[in-house]
Amino acid sequence: MMINNDTSLMAHLLRRAGFGATRDELEKYLALGYEGAVEVLLNPSEPNNMPDDLIRRYHVDQSELRDIAGSAAYWMYRMISTSCPLEEKTALFWHGLFATGYAKLNQARSLLNQVDMFRRSGMGSFEDLLVELSQDPAMIVWLDNIENHGSAINENFGRELLELFSMGIGNYTEDDIKECSRAFTGWTLGNAEYMSIRAAKDSIWPYGRIAWHFDYRKEDHDDDEKTFLGETGNFNGEDIIAIIAKQESTAQFVATRLFQFFAADEVTEYGEKAIQAMIETYFSSGYQVRDMLRTLFHSDYFKSEEARYARVKNPVEMVVGAIRMAGSYQNPALGIEKVSQNMLFMGQGLLQPPTVEGWHEGSEWIDSGALVERVNFVAKELSNVKSPGVRSIIDRLETGSDAGILDPAELADGCLDLLGPIEVSEATRSVLVEYAARLGNLDLKDHLQGDLAEQRVGNMLRLVAATREYQLA
Amino acid sequence: MTTNKREKSLIVIQLSGGNDYLNTIIPYAEGKYYDSRTTVNIPQDRVIPINDQLGFNPSMGPIKALWDEGKVAVINGIGYQNPNRSHFRSMDIWHTAEPDTIGKEGWLGRAIRDIDPLGENVLTGINFGRGLPRALACPGVSVASVGDLATYGLFPDVQDEELRMFTLEAFSKMYGGAAGRDPVMDLLGQTGKDALQGADILRTAPGMYSSTVEYSPDALAQNVKSISQVFHANLGAKVLYTQHGPFDTHSGELLSHAKLWNEVAGAIGSLMEDLKEHGTEDDATILVFSEFGRRIKDNGSGSDHGSGGGAFLIGGAVNGGLYGEYPSLAEAEQIEGDLRSNNDFRSVYTNILEDWMGLDAAPIVNGQFEKFDVFKS
Amino acid sequence: MSTQTKSPGIILDYVKTIGIVNNGFNGRGFANPYDIIADDDGQIFVLNRCDPARASAIRIGICNLDDEYLGEFGSGNGSGNGQFNWPVAMALDSQGNLHITDEYNHRVTTYTTAGEYVSHWGTPGSEDGELNGPAGIAFDSADNLFVVDQHNSRVQKFSVDGTFIAKWGSSGSGDGKFNLPWGIAVDSDDNVYVADWRNDRIQKFSNDGKFIAVFGSSGQGEGQFQRPTNITVDLEGFIYVADWGNERVQVLAGDGSFQLLLKGEATLSKWADEYLASNPEEKAERDVSNLTPNLPAHLNTPYHTSSQTEPYFWGPVSLTLDDQGRLYVVETNRHRFQVYQKR
Repeated sequence: MMINNDTSLMAHLLRRAGFGATRDELEKYLALGYEGAVEVLLNPSEPNNMPDDLIRRYHVDQSELRDIAGSAAYWMYRMISTSCPLEEKTALFWHGLFATGYAKLNQARSLLNQVDMFRRSGMGSFEDLLVELSQDPAMIVWLDNIENHGSAINENFGRELLELFSMGIGNYTEDDIKECSRAFTGWTLGNAEYMSIRAAKDSIWPYGRIAWHFDYRKEDHDDDEKTFLGETGNFNGEDIIAIIAKQESTAQFVATRLFQFFAADEVTEYGEKAIQAMIETYFSSGYQVRDMLRTLFHSDYFKSEEARYARVKNPVEMVVGAIRMAGSYQNPALGIEKVSQNMLFMGQGLLQPPTVEGWHEGSEWIDSGALVERVNFVAKELSNVKSPGVRSIIDRLETGSDAGILDPAELADGCLDLLGPIEVSEATRSVLVEYAARLGNLDLKDHLQGDLAEQRVGNMLRLVAATREYQLA
Repeated sequence: MTTNKREKSLIVIQLSGGNDYLNTIIPYAEGKYYDSRTTVNIPQDRVIPINDQLGFNPSMGPIKALWDEGKVAVINGIGYQNPNRSHFRSMDIWHTAEPDTIGKEGWLGRAIRDIDPLGENVLTGINFGRGLPRALACPGVSVASVGDLATYGLFPDVQDEELRMFTLEAFSKMYGGAAGRDPVMDLLGQTGKDALQGADILRTAPGMYSSTVEYSPDALAQNVKSISQVFHANLGAKVLYTQHGPFDTHSGELLSHAKLWNEVAGAIGSLMEDLKEHGTEDDATILVFSEFGRRIKDNGSGSDHGSGGGAFLIGGAVNGGLYGEYPSLAEAEQIEGDLRSNNDFRSVYTNILEDWMGLDAAPIVNGQFEKFDVFKS
Repeated sequence: MSTQTKSPGIILDYVKTIGIVNNGFNGRGFANPYDIIADDDGQIFVLNRCDPARASAIRIGICNLDDEYLGEFGSGNGSGNGQFNWPVAMALDSQGNLHITDEYNHRVTTYTTAGEYVSHWGTPGSEDGELNGPAGIAFDSADNLFVVDQHNSRVQKFSVDGTFIAKWGSSGSGDGKFNLPWGIAVDSDDNVYVADWRNDRIQKFSNDGKFIAVFGSSGQGEGQFQRPTNITVDLEGFIYVADWGNERVQVLAGDGSFQLLLKGEATLSKWADEYLASNPEEKAERDVSNLTPNLPAHLNTPYHTSSQTEPYFWGPVSLTLDDQGRLYVVETNRHRFQVYQKR
């Protein structure tokens, strides 16, 4: 049941290009108009996130970034405080696609440096991004390119570059994999062997971790002629990537994956039109991801009813969205790593994708354990009437009411509106109204912090967070 | 859904961090042990002897008592080829029974799928602790992760009982609608119903439980007590999983390792007493394992990641005894300073899956592995 | 390596490194140390801030220059007697007791140097005598206690048992104003120096809080600071600054003129040697590695450089002097301290 107006469309855009929006944020973007909002999102400037010096002063583990817990929290701080949400969503997108995991690296810093690279280069040219990815130390260790020598190639990276990071199976041969791998020989880390053994043993001795950087070992590189996808030359890695980038299958791959992350879990016939448009943009713009996203956000499909709530929120969106809405954790807080662990309990541990295939998104996020975690976390955040974001909702409900009085329907509708707006089925709405009706009209006049009137708002927000519809983006 | 027939259940206690096997089952008669472990060793007179070669760590009194009753099987030298010394990776290997490639399905997740292919009992597998271990993960398989049994379920932060009840009621109505237009909404509906049902049923377990056995207040003992409560409530839980740690004793090992094993042995002792009291000693088997052992030489304060560890199977149905070979400490037998394992962990898995749970093991553990004679017939 | 001006009045020679990371268990090693004190009996106290995941390592460890680990006391997380959540700094009074601030529990805890808990004091708030995020702590020659009250943007003066005497400071960037100040030190004239952290400068006051001088400005140049955390002053009046954000230590003369800076040059400690001795394959690779590599452009900030270059200071959050002219610089992210000898 779609409400077809600007507010609803903007809320939809901000759920996809960000982590949802408070009513304050929504109004700021509405003032820009849809096109203006899209441009601001696509061109992140100053993120104004929680400053690094403050984080590192109080959280020594996030100063060192030795282990996974604090490191996931560090990225979470960024996501909850940034004013450039699309930059973070794009980084999360690439993190899920070029899935590189802590389990093998035992090095959180290298993963966060990779995420930094996604911020720097994630909306630029896909070709440039692939080059940066191939030089990324975390990726080099993750897919064993550290073992890829001119004298004895290791095909792991070469294979996944073609299979999972660009064209996809069926668009190249086993020989292409071999030639591709040859081109990346010598692309390794500084002090590769020492770093490798430390990763394998999870060694933090003697003085904590030593971070990684890219090193090109010329003497280890296979300089000879290679034939890749029908072209021949003394290709090095960049040359291979240039050939990959101009393939139709690469364009299809990038467009489809962007669509599935930002538009809808399932690709329908209607959705396919948007993908085709994105493919055209891929070529006409010189492989620019920013332009492809612009095409998508302006497509008829994206603005249509079919696209509304066509994605299941991933755990990051659940947790970060709830915290941004509640306005909690705006300053370094003792125990923050336990908060970020909730994403892990819901099935998506930041920096810990289970395999190079990343997470299986969409309805696979939903199982009974995960659902309980999702509902409980968001319900707890949004029912806390001390949090500034919740207080803001209470104030807006009062201001928008008739002399401070809200009848059950107004309370339910008001909460659905200010949390989104979120559209729900009649069946869901009637349960919400019935729930509110248990205690009759709500009088918010002269409400005091934490009093019963405020708690009733918190209780309604809790129930909205628990709806099926809330699980969808 | 309760059942009158007493089901056989597997209880798993995972020791996270790499338990130091050399100081758990101690080769106290071997000079090379004391030569290598110049600081981090257990003096001969403190070891609890099993025989004239090997002994238990002094903190393992309750395990020794069970050993004397013939209920403890010690699997010496367990592991896999090409040992991996990374916590995450090695634990994944144990969880997915896949040492060579990255597995995605947990061996117990697959087992639960085989036991209950239609997912009729959402409580077939239960994890005690938050965050599902990969051992239990398998697409389509529903496993509850119970952080705290007393408060498990939806909206645990709502203190007011009446309010919580009304909120749960509303939740039930919102998720209870008939199947309709949208597969995702239907999935959510069904999942929500399963979650409610699972929580409702689990919440009855402590109330049905009565026992004279006292469990220590530490986290492991409390989780094990929850396991006992759920097991004895006869809810059809076939796999009950929990973990303890951190066993990653790179420094200050002697004190920490002793404390940890105090807790593990204490919890197992209490649990076995509890089973005995209920007459269910033969209906549960406990598996204790860790992702790797630790190095032969100590580092002056603790020990570092190694390989070739040990595992335990404990229960009334177990043929107590020593299985596998105790790994040799001789230089020639070591793998880069670590113990060499002599039996694949998937053998023990095969034993458990076939002899204890009555399942076909090979597809679950990705191969055929020789079994031990570790269960009474 | 130390960088020195043409004719500095001071020369510091590197002596050794002591430390190793401790991942949470008892025994030798440090876990994100935040402060260090050397007493006149050769005991070195190291305050471990530690990350929450290993709260058992929040404690004070004691060692000496012979790399002997003598003991430890204190614990976390919590607010019971002798417990800490976010410990920041320590000070030694004339009776040989240690006073430790906790910026989460908003209080000061007292221990004997033998490791016995004595007492604690401090209530959260902004009234006289109340604390909001106590950080740096120091004694003057009369056992008056100075505590940096970070979120109240002030310094408070107490008697040794926490009885309020005086206060000064407010929020801002002018003389006598503070922005999240951190460390504090007292010189031999009983003047007080404050590391005015977010104003990137050091301020000097008289014993009763009258503003005397300000040193430094924001930047990476000589005499500039990025989030200086702590200071210490020697008997000749040289000021040693833990220039945390620039991953270095700077020494100024008493008039504030730049003398030299240290980037850190750590070598293997005895405990590190022990670890490598029992892990020879790791040692073999380490021995042929370049631990001071060249880095790509996007990793060229002091923070990233130090994360990649093990000998450099990384998180040099505090420093102290002993009575033999030795300087101890403790590094949060490297779990060690480096010792220099003043010539």
